[in-house]
Amino acid sequence: MRFMLVAAGVGLLLAAIPGFAHHSFAAEYDSNKPITVKGTVNKLAWVNPHAYVFVDVKDEHGKVTTWAFESLSPNALAQQGWNRSSLKPGDQVTVEGYLAKDGKPLADGSMHANSRKITLADGRAVFVGSSADAAYQQGK
Amino acid sequence: MRSYLLGLIVIVAAAAQPPAPPAPGGFLQNAAPAGPTPRTPEGKPDLSGVWSPGLDFARMGQVPLQPWADALYKDRRANLSKDDPEGHCLPAGVPRIAPFPFKLVQTPSLVIYLDEGNVHSYRQFFLDGRGHPKDLDPTWMGDSIAKWDGDTLVVDTIGFNDKTWLNGQGLPHSDALHVIERYRRPDLGHLEEEITMEDSKAFTAPHTFKRTMTLMPKWEIHEYVCNEFNVDAEHLVGAGH
Repeated sequence: MRFMLVAAGVGLLLAAIPGFAHHSFAAEYDSNKPITVKGTVNKLAWVNPHAYVFVDVKDEHGKVTTWAFESLSPNALAQQGWNRSSLKPGDQVTVEGYLAKDGKPLADGSMHANSRKITLADGRAVFVGSSADAAYQQGK
Repeated sequence: MRSYLLGLIVIVAAAAQPPAPPAPGGFLQNAAPAGPTPRTPEGKPDLSGVWSPGLDFARMGQVPLQPWADALYKDRRANLSKDDPEGHCLPAGVPRIAPFPFKLVQTPSLVIYLDEGNVHSYRQFFLDGRGHPKDLDPTWMGDSIAKWDGDTLVVDTIGFNDKTWLNGQGLPHSDALHVIERYRRPDLGHLEEEITMEDSKAFTAPHTFKRTMTLMPKWEIHEYVCNEFNVDAEHLVGAGH
């Protein structure tokens, strides 16, 4: 019961968070196209306006595709206790997020998406939060 | 010995236990420190500090728009804010603010407002009795003069360009925008701001709203170089896909 209350509270909080992206979520990503991928961290780009997490995902034929996941800004992540070492190359991760609307890769060829939660192999969740959880574009 | 071992095991287990993830958006919900309003040697409230707007950054209410401005606003809504200047790392303007913290530095003749983001920008509130310069060039952040009204700092800003949006939804304004901000620090931990916007070319009436900032005594403003990796800009397709 207590867990359910906490879960409900987190849900309300998620619904209440305005976007802390520097751009409109809905203009770039599709909230109707949620995705979950498992892979290996290739690198973490700790840069503004958004940190990006690059994840190598291997398909059943062994072909590796690199995904680029937009996260929050480094300062927003830092204020929640994460830092540039919270994800390291080689970490096994599961990323939940949303596909980019235009379906076009970034300039480096990586698949483009937005992350709302990254879970490490030990179950620890990092970089939780996304402009997807936003009232930003909904007119407050 | 046995209890010592048990103690060790408990300690090791505790160390291995991953820290609980912080609440999503937790950094936007901070408790304010308690205490009286700090004052300068001159006896004025000292507004200096690092302030977080929390969830109030998005607060503005309904602004009464003239038909052309309302049509532009609806167009920006239909496009899901894809052309928001902030998405292109351009300044927020006034009175729009980001969810990021800002810093006030107060002297007897000048208050400096330093924005961490959306892009680094600054405002100067001149408290030395000067007026607005004549024939101002339009700018992103405008020209601000200030005076004390009792314990309230009143900041008057004009001289804007018409390129900024008043909020993330695309609320338009013109170069006739006039913003009057009334800042109060009722106690140590809070900064209250009452904002009145007038725009004879875009609004049908002035609009007043309020927001309250929280003092963050352990925070500093951070570097935020928005253009370093703004790979988003070319992927902001709005409702087009």
